[in-house]
Amino acid sequence: MKTFLLSLSVAALSATGALADEIRVLNWQGYGTDQDFATKPFEEATGHTVVHEYFNSEQEMLTKLRTNPGAYDVVMINATFTEQAAAEGLIAPIDTAALPNFDGIPAKFADDPMQKIDGAQYGVPWTWGLTSFAINAQSVDEAPSSIEALWDPKYEGHVSIRDDAIEAMQIGALATGQDINDIKDIEAVKDKLAALLPNLLTFWGSENDWNQSMASGQLDIATYWSGSAVRSIAQGLEIEFVIPEEGAIGWLDALSIPATSEHKAAGEAFINWMIDPEFYVAWDKAGSPAPANAKAAAALPEEAFNRRVLGDPEVLARVQFQVPVEDATKEQYLEIWQTLKARQ
Amino acid sequence: MTELTASADRRRLFALLSPAYLWLTLAVFLPLSAMLFFSFLTDLPQDNPDWSATFDNYARFLTNPTYAILMWKSVKLGLMVTLGCVLIGYPCALVLARTIKGRARETLFLLVILPFWSNSLVRIFSWAIVLRGNGMLEHALNWLLPFELRLELMFTTHAVVIGLIHSYLPYVILTSYLALQAIDDDLVDAARSMGASKLTILRRILLPLSLPGLLAGAVLVFVPVVGSFMEPRILGGRMGTYYGTLIEDQFVSVYNWPLGAALSFTLLAVVLLILACASPILGKART
Amino acid sequence: MSRSLLPLIGKLWLFAILFFLYAPILVMAAMSFNASPFYQLPFELSTRWYQQMAGNGQILSAALRSVGIAMVTTLVATALGTAASIGLFRYDFAGKKVLMVLLFPPIAIPWLITGTAMLIFFFAIGIGRGTPAVIIGHVALALPYVIVTVTARLSSFDITLEEAARSMGANSWTVLRRVTLPWIAPGVVAGGLFAFAVSFDQFVVSYFLSEPGDSTLPVLIYTAIRKGFTPEINAISTIIIAVSMLIMFLATRYSRFAGDR
Repeated sequence: MKTFLLSLSVAALSATGALADEIRVLNWQGYGTDQDFATKPFEEATGHTVVHEYFNSEQEMLTKLRTNPGAYDVVMINATFTEQAAAEGLIAPIDTAALPNFDGIPAKFADDPMQKIDGAQYGVPWTWGLTSFAINAQSVDEAPSSIEALWDPKYEGHVSIRDDAIEAMQIGALATGQDINDIKDIEAVKDKLAALLPNLLTFWGSENDWNQSMASGQLDIATYWSGSAVRSIAQGLEIEFVIPEEGAIGWLDALSIPATSEHKAAGEAFINWMIDPEFYVAWDKAGSPAPANAKAAAALPEEAFNRRVLGDPEVLARVQFQVPVEDATKEQYLEIWQTLKARQ
Repeated sequence: MTELTASADRRRLFALLSPAYLWLTLAVFLPLSAMLFFSFLTDLPQDNPDWSATFDNYARFLTNPTYAILMWKSVKLGLMVTLGCVLIGYPCALVLARTIKGRARETLFLLVILPFWSNSLVRIFSWAIVLRGNGMLEHALNWLLPFELRLELMFTTHAVVIGLIHSYLPYVILTSYLALQAIDDDLVDAARSMGASKLTILRRILLPLSLPGLLAGAVLVFVPVVGSFMEPRILGGRMGTYYGTLIEDQFVSVYNWPLGAALSFTLLAVVLLILACASPILGKART
Repeated sequence: MSRSLLPLIGKLWLFAILFFLYAPILVMAAMSFNASPFYQLPFELSTRWYQQMAGNGQILSAALRSVGIAMVTTLVATALGTAASIGLFRYDFAGKKVLMVLLFPPIAIPWLITGTAMLIFFFAIGIGRGTPAVIIGHVALALPYVIVTVTARLSSFDITLEEAARSMGANSWTVLRRVTLPWIAPGVVAGGLFAFAVSFDQFVVSYFLSEPGDSTLPVLIYTAIRKGFTPEINAISTIIIAVSMLIMFLATRYSRFAGDR
């Protein structure tokens, strides 16, 4: 605790406006930055106050940044959107020297071309995780080792995936042994998804849906995010997250500072606290995705999923990390996905 | 009704109409005009200086069968839900207006609308608990019935229809009530004294005189239901893809406002066309 | 059917439908007292969500803000909408049909699109964001509902009543206050109740136009979808319904608005 308070006060003092600012954070609701264990210690240590605004989709996040100059000081951006936000001039480079905790972030994240553009750090890697699937431990005895389980007729009517064109296409790519970021055989993915749809009970749209459907026994197996699985398990749901032999989709979420922010120093102090091992340990207890800070990952309890499983190099070797998808490709995927769904 | 003759009348009309319509112009018509303009563009002007005018976004509706298929599915849904609301709601209004008397009427009147002072998403999630397999409805029925019953209502079109009828029923009940309650008792009494049966009174007096209210309610149901996407998405499962979800996707999943706007205005055009076709038929039924 | 059986069946039908209308509300309330965060059965009584909610300043202030915005919206939309309905009903003029048809776009076009359009337009002309902008949007979306509802009531109004009153020397204002308004009162009340419901459930406009930290309840609820909300939402919704019910029952004791008979 001492180190974190120290690093916080260092950041606060080094800030030009050591006075109390109101920091406006734009993020998903319930995603790390807005919980009491995140805001309270920061507010006490720095005197800044943290106010949140939430978005419901990445597109709407960008719309909010475009139309509200000066309204936000910190924004959480999925790595595949950072480049676009930077190109549109929505976010500014961050002076990593102002972030004492930044040295804990390994080069594979920090120097990722999605985060570091032309030598400038536009995004501070914050947290990462996988999109794969989980099984309902109440009804499935043994976790399957292959993604083919989603297609298994045994689970017919008890399977769910998310209603998201890109995610669906990438899962299809995994199942057909393709690169998720460069799908060559689109027809194969299409056929694979067409075969999956009759097996589905529903598309899940929210963690709520997902948790309720698992708890009530309606689902046996469903795609899920690793961080959410950790959280559901922490809340007492009997599920198991599976990383199949075909691999899984990896994603990275990062924190950025809008170009029009008027409280940049305070925003930097907040980001520094968000990548502090103390914070990650507290978040992991509540159920979180994996820390992008290697020091934080090492500080997690040994049995923590984010250390035990996601820290395993053998598992990591199977992960395909997402890169940005071009607009035209997105629209193509959406059209394919809508056509498949309309046939139901 | 008065013809607009005197300038005093004209002033009065202006004073009555202008606040509401100016407000609508500022907050809805002008913004939507901007969207209508976007729907004829290749790109949004703020993103791409090379934008140009095009009909492509509307042509997509004709070339991609998915759009037409889902439009038809949504229109059918709208008709089904409207019919359901009318069949369920009109008798309620009839009872409320013609049978219930005294303070009970005020109370029931309010009770009909009160559930809608809650959040629609929370209501939909509650329906999910009721309808799902092994959910509350099946528990209740199996407790009542001597045999085992599996309804499997959740994630079907039935679930969507039930959820939507629930959401829009109050419009039909209250607008029908407003018209039914206005009918003069003497008229009904006179008909009865002349030996008209209940059915005749309903068919010849109550129904024709309350038709404007019933139609207003039906319109308030049909129009928004055709574009709905939330109830279908949560309650309909893999059957829950409708035209409204297509529009939503263009704004939420991809950043294609021109296409999303074009799909929305196509929806508006179809809805208005249906209403225009229906109005002479219904007008004839009135006389 | 005998004379006494029909009203009985009618009343049973009405109560059955009321039960249908309240089914999800009862479930919502039940789940606010259920210990499971996943709405899991069997039911286990707990006040955990109420305790959490009481300590959640964000939800409480959002709920109060939503109630405030909905009340202002209701007053403004009902007043403007009623005036417009009377104008549309009383006078014949060119373009009347057009004005009626213009009420459909805000209802037919999904609010997501209208809300996005408002966002860019309000910024372009300098209204910007904040509570006034939110109220401007809410009133606009509620107006068509008020106008359609009040017009439905007016359609059965006997215009000769106004003429009779005028022929007896009453001026227009007196005619409006003593003849027209009392007659359409049930329609105005229904329109106002719809306006409140529209505003109180309106997500998109508030989502795009409210200041950071000034969220309304629907914004908190809808943006919680992805990461999941807790039954605290059920708890606050249950309290709101219970309080509204209390206020409404008081209202029925002191006023008659459902029309004389």
